[in-house]
Amino acid sequence: MSGHDSKYFSTTKKGEIPELKEELNSQYKDKRKDAVKKVIAAMTVGKDVSSLFTDVVNCMQTENLELKKLVYLYLINYAKSQPDLAILAVNTFVKDSQDPNPLIRALAVRTMGCIRVDKITEYLCDPLQRCLKDDDPYVRKTAAICVAKLYDINAELVEDRGFLESLKDLISDNNPMVVANAVAALAEIQENSNRPIFEITSHTLSKLLTALNECTEWGQVFILDALSRYKAADAREAENIVERVTPRLQHANCAVVLSAVKMILQQMELITSTDVVRNLCKKMAPPLVTLLSAEPEIQYVALRNINLIVQRRPTILAHEIKVFFCKYNDPIYVKMEKLEIMIKLASDRNIDQVLLEFKEYATEVDVDFVRKAVRAIGRCAIKLDRAAERCISVLLELIKIKVNYVVQEAIIVIKDIFRRYPNTYESIIATLCESLDTLDEPEAKASMIWIIGEYAERIDNADELLESFLESFPEEPAQVQLQLLTATVKLFLKKPTEGPQQMIQVVLNNATVETDNPDLRDRAYIYWRLLSTDPESAKDVVLAEKPVISDDSNQLDPSLLDELLANIATLSSVYHKPPEAFVTRVKTTNQRTEDDEYAEGSEAGYSESSAPVADGAASPSSSSGSVPYAGARQPGPAPTQPAPAAPVPDLLGDLIGLDNSAIVPTDQPATPAGPPLPVLLPESTGQGLQISAQLTRRDDQIFYSLLFENNSQVALDGFMIQFNKNTFGVAAAGPLQVPQLQPGTSARTLLPMVIFQNMSQGPPSSLLQVAVKNNQQPVWYFNDKILLHVFFTEEGRMERASFLETWRSLPDSNEVSKDFPGAVISTVEATLDLLTASNMFFIARRKHANQDVFYFSAKLPQGTPFLIELTTVVGNPGVKCAIKTPNPDMAPIFFESIDTLLRA
Amino acid sequence: MISQFFVLSQRGDNIVFRDYRGEVQKGSAEIFFRKVKFWKEDGEGDAPPVFNVDGVNYFHVKVAGLLFAATTRANVSPSFVLELLQRIARVIKDYLGVLNEDSLRKNFVLVYELLDEVIDFGYVQTTSTEVLKSYVFNEPLVVDASRMPPLGPAAIFRQGTKRMPGTAITKSVVANEPGGRKREEIFVDVIEKISVTFSSSGYILTSEIDGTIQMKSYLTGNPEIRVALNEDLSIGQGGRSIHDYSSSFGAGTVTLDDCNFHESVRLDSFDIDRTLTMIPPDGEFSVMNYRITQEFKPPFRINTLVEEAGLLKAEVIIKVRAEFPSSVSANTILVQMPLPAYTIRASFELEPGTVGNTTDFKEANKRLEWGLKKARMLSSILSELHCRYRNILKEAGPVSMTFTISMYNASKLQVKYLQIVKKTKTDNPYRWVRYITQANSYVARNVPINGSGVSTSKLNFEVPTMLKFLLLEVKSPYFLFLILRTTTGQKALIMGVKLSSSELLGE
Repeated sequence: MSGHDSKYFSTTKKGEIPELKEELNSQYKDKRKDAVKKVIAAMTVGKDVSSLFTDVVNCMQTENLELKKLVYLYLINYAKSQPDLAILAVNTFVKDSQDPNPLIRALAVRTMGCIRVDKITEYLCDPLQRCLKDDDPYVRKTAAICVAKLYDINAELVEDRGFLESLKDLISDNNPMVVANAVAALAEIQENSNRPIFEITSHTLSKLLTALNECTEWGQVFILDALSRYKAADAREAENIVERVTPRLQHANCAVVLSAVKMILQQMELITSTDVVRNLCKKMAPPLVTLLSAEPEIQYVALRNINLIVQRRPTILAHEIKVFFCKYNDPIYVKMEKLEIMIKLASDRNIDQVLLEFKEYATEVDVDFVRKAVRAIGRCAIKLDRAAERCISVLLELIKIKVNYVVQEAIIVIKDIFRRYPNTYESIIATLCESLDTLDEPEAKASMIWIIGEYAERIDNADELLESFLESFPEEPAQVQLQLLTATVKLFLKKPTEGPQQMIQVVLNNATVETDNPDLRDRAYIYWRLLSTDPESAKDVVLAEKPVISDDSNQLDPSLLDELLANIATLSSVYHKPPEAFVTRVKTTNQRTEDDEYAEGSEAGYSESSAPVADGAASPSSSSGSVPYAGARQPGPAPTQPAPAAPVPDLLGDLIGLDNSAIVPTDQPATPAGPPLPVLLPESTGQGLQISAQLTRRDDQIFYSLLFENNSQVALDGFMIQFNKNTFGVAAAGPLQVPQLQPGTSARTLLPMVIFQNMSQGPPSSLLQVAVKNNQQPVWYFNDKILLHVFFTEEGRMERASFLETWRSLPDSNEVSKDFPGAVISTVEATLDLLTASNMFFIARRKHANQDVFYFSAKLPQGTPFLIELTTVVGNPGVKCAIKTPNPDMAPIFFESIDTLLRA
Repeated sequence: MISQFFVLSQRGDNIVFRDYRGEVQKGSAEIFFRKVKFWKEDGEGDAPPVFNVDGVNYFHVKVAGLLFAATTRANVSPSFVLELLQRIARVIKDYLGVLNEDSLRKNFVLVYELLDEVIDFGYVQTTSTEVLKSYVFNEPLVVDASRMPPLGPAAIFRQGTKRMPGTAITKSVVANEPGGRKREEIFVDVIEKISVTFSSSGYILTSEIDGTIQMKSYLTGNPEIRVALNEDLSIGQGGRSIHDYSSSFGAGTVTLDDCNFHESVRLDSFDIDRTLTMIPPDGEFSVMNYRITQEFKPPFRINTLVEEAGLLKAEVIIKVRAEFPSSVSANTILVQMPLPAYTIRASFELEPGTVGNTTDFKEANKRLEWGLKKARMLSSILSELHCRYRNILKEAGPVSMTFTISMYNASKLQVKYLQIVKKTKTDNPYRWVRYITQANSYVARNVPINGSGVSTSKLNFEVPTMLKFLLLEVKSPYFLFLILRTTTGQKALIMGVKLSSSELLGE
């Protein structure tokens, strides 16, 4: 077998553990070392070798550092799960911490700090105390970090034992590595503490600035970042600091350069001399540019930072725009950032060059990049008025290429250019109109329509152009509908001729009656009223002069910019978000999970990743308050709830919130035991949950009567219900009240309903689509049938005279009839009672040959009357039903309903 | 500070995983990989090197086909972490000689030992191979490097010249040679990556050199090294804009825009005699990085001509002219050009007598690829494209080129001498100074087919204007092409009335 470490992975046959045990207790050193390596190998692939704890710990007492390190590695991993056995190691740790070899001393302290077991921590304090004062710098620097570890486990202990003071002493250490670690540890402790612990005085400042020159590159970053919190007293001190920091700009490590830039920028705020500031800007430019020669990953970070820096101090890189030109092989994330900076640095002096670049980018392959390049041209036009004309001619050239997404993007930016420079470039409208048919993206369409409306008086065939869009009005997205509405109104006000007048009728009708978008409807009503009351003032409002826009599409809010600049060279400056927005680091002392630190096999690790530890602590606010159905949930500690089996769509929550605003009844009717309800969700479909339901009418109110039967293995809770849009706008009037359902139990409920809430368009239909969810299962969808008679109201009763009059007043075309060959009216009385109970009121009865003809009246809540004629031979099957109503579309639904009633 | 460090293979397998603080959940590597793999729905487009998922910040760099990644919850310095990841990769390479999945797996105990010394509780302790040597005890097990694909720019020397030992670049810094004693040698590589953008008329729009002087020392006893550069080297001072570049061309004055140095470099005498003094640490490191935007002579010039050759046909002619001495050899030259999406097929015609060239039309991404084994004074290729639609010429290009030229550097920056200040004169160590020039972004933009050089109104020209226009263009390097155009153009001129004038311009 070859001498590779990988051989340690190869013994996977049964009986491995006893075999290893034997080898670990071998009398030969080499054999023991090999055995420990095998144990570690097993550990890294996620096997449980914790049962060998005692045997491995026995190998700990060795002078062989290689072996000792391996044992320590094992200990860090398993001490937590074997706290009682871990105590076995304490003696050796303590002994090691006094070993003559500094590496062993440091190793002992370093490892003890990583073992989060109380018994070990207790014994850590004394060795740590000694090591902080050790002669060897390697030991001291390890001890410094160990204080931060201990603070994370037990902050009080650190403060009680005076470790903070020892740590502060280390700032004056003569070894720069020790200083750097002490600074890093103090900075972390400060971050997690509310008390001032690590304050930088002018004394520490000068000490740290001296250490800066001697430190390793990483230490320099620790120190620079800590010093960036220091506020200089005056301009002179600031200049002094800057002078000491400036040489760091020459460092090959990008992190050092950026941290130095941050420090200099901060002190510059205090420096009053413009000469000094100018000089500093000059000094910072080359190193910043050099960052763009680094790996693309670093370039990206540098570009995000430069983006912020040039917003505050545009002069720094004003002459360097060429370095931001995109390279052919830049990754897309670098190209996008370069574009942003090019726009920021574009000026009258360099705009020709910049435009040439943008134009080139606009023909590249990556669609997102191309779009952004086109948009960039538009933004330059808005930013630089002297270059606007050149920008526009480039955009026109691009439009001529006729690449679809280029054209659409160009039209969007040209709309903005028109807003920026009114009455200047309208001559190009004709060219734009040529591309009209190719537009298929909402934003581009909306932009084009806006242009047509705004310049309707200059476009001869504006009405034709708009009309072509109107045909598809109902299908357009809201953005386009709104623009179409406004543009048509503008057209009408500018050219109040017949054509536009008809168009406006169509649009207003569409936008008020046919839509369920409240924005569109409200806007349409406003226009309607304006136009009908006073067309002149309508003109003043709609055609008012618009404020000229400026390029603010990418300017950050000044206070945010200040905060981000203070966070240059941190993640905050890459995300362009303040640290609070994404930093979720929390004290994890109590939440730490069992760690095997060397998990190599990901399959072992991943299943635990959804443990709510991090998430729950990370966003405590997100689950409270805003969720409308929070009240319907079973109370209980959230983190212990099992995770839902499938993600729950937001749809339910949102729409229920809407329904809540229309709560009608407050008293919850008692749940009565009624006739069996039709099963709508059989248990075979519902993973053991069966739902039966029906719409019913009680005490002149509509309810949805539901029966839930839980035949699954788990308790179900958190039931919610939602109804899809339907012809009658049936919706829940309140939340569904179903208690937790234990396996094998059932619950009945009456859900109060409202109608005309969320009505669907199209021909009337009896279909009612229902969604029910709970906390344990996926959302269930099922269909129910709306029985028209539940809507019939008490007001449906009619006098004979008015019945006759209504009958006559309705044309014969409104009469619809249907045969029900299977239905029987066996006794007249029972049928009359049945129908009266459903608010179908008996009017008259007459004989026609051997048949009986019955007349009834009923009324829907909106006031639509139904005049009903039933013809049958009593006792024999076969009923003919004819109805006359102003709304004959409803007839099929009515027949469904009567059929159900007669069969009941 | 960082929370976790891990190395993933291209397929997303965990090769190394170390958790330093236990504050990020363990599935992070998988969450990370999925995010990177499917950054955009279509799987195209690279994920940015820094992103945040559910409060965890992920950093990554790609090194030798492996993903080196780190996580944290704190607002750390991203350049710090990214630089650290690069540095860890370099330390591991120093130790293992070769950096790949196989070598990492074979040396996992050593890698974990290294990681424990490099980072403690998420804080970087050191990334210097030199320093680490005193704390790390495992011996590297070197994998056979001969079958490995070449890595890094200096790798071209491996197969190449006889003067160089074959194993130099893949030799571990710490492992002993099989023969026992280590060979005393030091490598200094001047590596320049050049970026040039030629305008459609052949002028240089932008040019830039990103240079680095890399050192890898296998000397025992850490002797002091002196590296002398061009004496007339000047740095910054905004000299570039005032600079009369015709003088800088010939005279060999090298002006750096900016440069930075490794921390071991002492610059005491740099200002006087341009000498860098250092005691090099073990392992590979950059002595100096520099950046030049001063005009330089590009090693290759590229001319492209795209024209319609029939109803559904177009012709592409690419000419590459090598402008460096024939004694210097350029390797692995590849010329690429994106073709319109509706290109169906392409045929190629090389100059007679050309050998060792490859030509290909990559169907999948519609790209023309032309590989040259060796550069000649002038190479050219004619490609005939068959397209589905007519209106073709606007989506072709630009032409880009990749190449590596050894023992040549565009900047004329030179290592005048490399001195090893040794106390005892036992034997003379080998000293290697090598120059490598590589293309970074080497691009030639296409002829302005749809008249981008001419404003739209001028497209309505009459015959005399057209003549003027053509004459105007004669100045450009497309001279040959335009003369050719005028000769056929004669026809066009005569028939100018019949042919729409825009057709001549490719409209």
